[in-house]
Amino acid sequence: MSEHRSVYPFTALVGQDQMRLALELNAVNPAIGGVLIRGEKGTAKSTAVRALARLLPELQVVTGCRFGCDPRGDRLCADCLARVAQGERPLPWQPRRMRVVELPINASEDRVVGSIDLEAAIKSGQRRFEPGVLAEANRQILYVDEVNLLDDHIVDVLLDAAAMGVNVVEREGISVWHPSRFILVGTMNPEEGDLRPQLLDRFGLCVDVTGISNVSDRVEIVQRREQFEADPEGFGAAFADSEEEERLRIERAMVALPEVEVARPVLEAIARLSIALEVDGHRADLVARKAAQALAALHGLPRAAISEVAAVAPMVLAHRVRTQPGQRPHDVAEVARRILGES
Amino acid sequence: MAAIFIPEGTARSISFSAVVGQERMKQALLLAAVDPRIGGVLIRGERGTAKSTLVRALARVLPARTVVADCPYGCQPTEGHLCASCAARQGRGSAVPLEVRPTRVVDLPLGASEDRVVGSIDMEQALLSGTRAFQPGVLAEANGQILYVDEVNLLDHHLVDVLLDAAAMGINVVEREGISARHPARFILVGTMNPEEGDLRPQLLDRFGLCVDVRGLLDPLDRVRIMEQDQGVVRAAEAADAALASQLLAARTLLPQVRVPRAVIQTAAVIAVDQQVVGHRADLVMVRSARAQRALRAATTGESGELEVSLQDLVSVAELVLVHRRRSFGSPSSPVASGDGEPVEQISSSGVSPSEPRASATDASEPGPDAEAGAVATQADSDGAGAETGSGPASPSPGESEAVVVEDAVPVARIQIPRERLRRHGTGRRSQTASKDRRGRYVGARVVERTTDLALDATLRAAAPHQLQRRQAAPPTEPHRLQLEKRDLRQKIRQRRIGNLIVFLVDASASMDAEQRMDATRSAILALLKDAYVRRDRVAMISFSGRTARVVLRPTASVDLAERQLSRLAVGGTTPLTHGLVAALDLIRSERMRDSEVLPLLVLISDGRGNISLRGEEPLVEAQRTAAMVRQERIRSLVIDSSRDHLAGTLAQGSAPSPRMAGFNFNACQDLAERMGAQYFGLFDVSEQGILRPVAEALRRPG
Repeated sequence: MSEHRSVYPFTALVGQDQMRLALELNAVNPAIGGVLIRGEKGTAKSTAVRALARLLPELQVVTGCRFGCDPRGDRLCADCLARVAQGERPLPWQPRRMRVVELPINASEDRVVGSIDLEAAIKSGQRRFEPGVLAEANRQILYVDEVNLLDDHIVDVLLDAAAMGVNVVEREGISVWHPSRFILVGTMNPEEGDLRPQLLDRFGLCVDVTGISNVSDRVEIVQRREQFEADPEGFGAAFADSEEEERLRIERAMVALPEVEVARPVLEAIARLSIALEVDGHRADLVARKAAQALAALHGLPRAAISEVAAVAPMVLAHRVRTQPGQRPHDVAEVARRILGES
Repeated sequence: MAAIFIPEGTARSISFSAVVGQERMKQALLLAAVDPRIGGVLIRGERGTAKSTLVRALARVLPARTVVADCPYGCQPTEGHLCASCAARQGRGSAVPLEVRPTRVVDLPLGASEDRVVGSIDMEQALLSGTRAFQPGVLAEANGQILYVDEVNLLDHHLVDVLLDAAAMGINVVEREGISARHPARFILVGTMNPEEGDLRPQLLDRFGLCVDVRGLLDPLDRVRIMEQDQGVVRAAEAADAALASQLLAARTLLPQVRVPRAVIQTAAVIAVDQQVVGHRADLVMVRSARAQRALRAATTGESGELEVSLQDLVSVAELVLVHRRRSFGSPSSPVASGDGEPVEQISSSGVSPSEPRASATDASEPGPDAEAGAVATQADSDGAGAETGSGPASPSPGESEAVVVEDAVPVARIQIPRERLRRHGTGRRSQTASKDRRGRYVGARVVERTTDLALDATLRAAAPHQLQRRQAAPPTEPHRLQLEKRDLRQKIRQRRIGNLIVFLVDASASMDAEQRMDATRSAILALLKDAYVRRDRVAMISFSGRTARVVLRPTASVDLAERQLSRLAVGGTTPLTHGLVAALDLIRSERMRDSEVLPLLVLISDGRGNISLRGEEPLVEAQRTAAMVRQERIRSLVIDSSRDHLAGTLAQGSAPSPRMAGFNFNACQDLAERMGAQYFGLFDVSEQGILRPVAEALRRPG
């Protein structure tokens, strides 16, 4: 299956600006920690995530490493550490495009965390580790469609790996660990049930998408989809320029990101906002800072201002606001306007 | 209730053209066959309306496929979407052996295990040669064909998830049991269901491109033709099928030439917005269906050349696309399909008005137990075109004297039950009982005394490290033959989401607030059901008054059905409490027979003062003894006291207390609750919230 041919171009999506922005921000700075897209059925959630894959930057990965270690990173896998210890320094690397690794909801634990390599064990008696999805997802996007339907025990495994950035495998006489830092992207239809709060908090950003009620936009959606399916290649070619432009925009933003300044008054505004909204913990503050910074980078600005914070506040905070039973939840956008207006 | 597969060409396979009537159903199936991208068909209707028959007959008119002869997934090179190995072969330029095969209807039986559906590790290869290979499952078989799920609303949750994933992507991704595989799985999904047996999850509902609600035929002549056919008077219309098949083929060929004018797309968008459908899929499906309709029309008349979709084409398909997509709680503007002329009982209210079209307007007055109903459905369907159809508009079941026709406001609240805790507690119970039957999702493996449900992958992994050693001890006949020992064997741990069965047992005897009690119960039931599709809970209701107890709502997850059946609730008469308790016990017992893992919750709403005897004993003593059985059978229960005087401890003047209690400071309800092992709730006024709160709490507690 030539997957690239059948991928709908990101820039051909109509509307859904918040969803697109959240995905772009993550592409600019993966440390934002992924995005959860909640929405009714048929609102291009999955299409957008898969489309993002083509805009993702190239990574440097250690040649021959099963886990795609970053040659200049500080978190190498055991194999790479051994190579360094043997004097292989610097480690040879090659470029590799970042990917979207899918976790099917019916995945079994052995395939998610990895397990003993059966054939090797049977034929040669070797106890070899066969990497699973968590290994494949290292430094990539880990995409879970219908994430709210994921089995509890798989969610536990995901949470463990996400918290430590490491996947530890202790099973069937195998004892292995390897880096597993991924951008978690999930889509869900809230009608099908809620997400566990711990898992919800793992998503850096969260956006709610709804159907578009503008008729001419809807006509555009149908027409593009039809053109795409009738002639994927032709359609892809028609959007090649805009895709390339978008890729460059993200690339430029990535390069600029470390230089984008987030001044102290902006950080203070973020802190005040989190306090006003009674958000648990500090993850929200950190994510808000990174997201505002990434947004400024995307806009080609030298520093992130209050307006950037205001733009990302809903997607950073909406899913972290506590809702007490019988109490009306905070309106994030409204509180943001009030608090940030004072700054 | 898995459907029996009837191979084509056998005597029982009826011809597509020979099915009498049901034109909408035929139209929907043909459209989906012309353009598979429309995304399948859902057929809702009572049993015996030729649903299954027609779906199976569709195979007879489907064009044949050209497939790669030796590909396990039946890749069709002309359609694109090749599996990895076919794509590689084509890339190398090597010749691919082709073969023409008929298109079949592949069944997905309800009881199918997940590994059979998605595919799994090839057991034979693993054991004999120690290699790991992927054995394709039903989804692979269905590639390029029709995947048919009878009773799709009863499909296990985890299978629905799998199906959704594959249907959405056209690819089956397997990451389980030591296997990592992906292959194309593009199929036309066809599902049939009887809406009385529960609703379909909204997510799955939307995946079906088209939907048809079928009813029994009302024209006597049509019905006569069905009977004649059933007796073999009319022979299968082979020629008509052949003509239809060539039309289908022609329509498929014409499809790319059909142009859709912007005005048509615009109209589709306007309709979608106006009907408040969810998401954007409706517009797209409408346009595709209209195009398929146009192609089909051209193929029938023999037109060719430039073809253009007309508004008429769009209109003729719109309802098929919209019927299942309108918001359930939308504006009252959406049309309510009620074909039989019977006024549909609308529960209009200030807050919420259910305006979704009724699934089947004819009302089976008293549906039998589900299992039996299913059996009848399969039989009737395969016997031929709906010889056993509903009896037309149903007269309301003969109620008792004072029928309460609900017409005023019944605001329905959604209750939020924290899901996480519920499921956790379920997991705990599941792992204890799960291995009893082989249903449910395989989540892990363990060592057990006697292995009955072998987890092959886990067994292999356990055996693998010892192979060298064992081979040295006893050289095998074949070099890589696996040597298994008993201690390697692993049992599958399966997990299933268990649904609650909430049985409301409501006192309908005459008292000042009897109607209020019924109304409150009714709206509590609807609120529970509106929340239930998330968790697959079912609700039943039994009322008792006069000299009988009556099951007014059989266990159901269908909001629709509950609304219909609970719209008239009779009140009045004496209080046959024992009758009610016995009926509730019977119902719970029979549900437990069907599924040992069901979690019943009995909710008694009464003043606890039974005054009619069932077995000739003192009513109170009888009721007490029956109540004790609830505890004995470990049924979770709640008692909601509806008498107004329980807090004061004095007896009310309005109701008729048992003479023995007069003058005593005795709370009959509390006494019953103790005997039932139930939680007791005293309420001044029985309200919807007064019922929902304790029920939600009880569901949250481990059983």
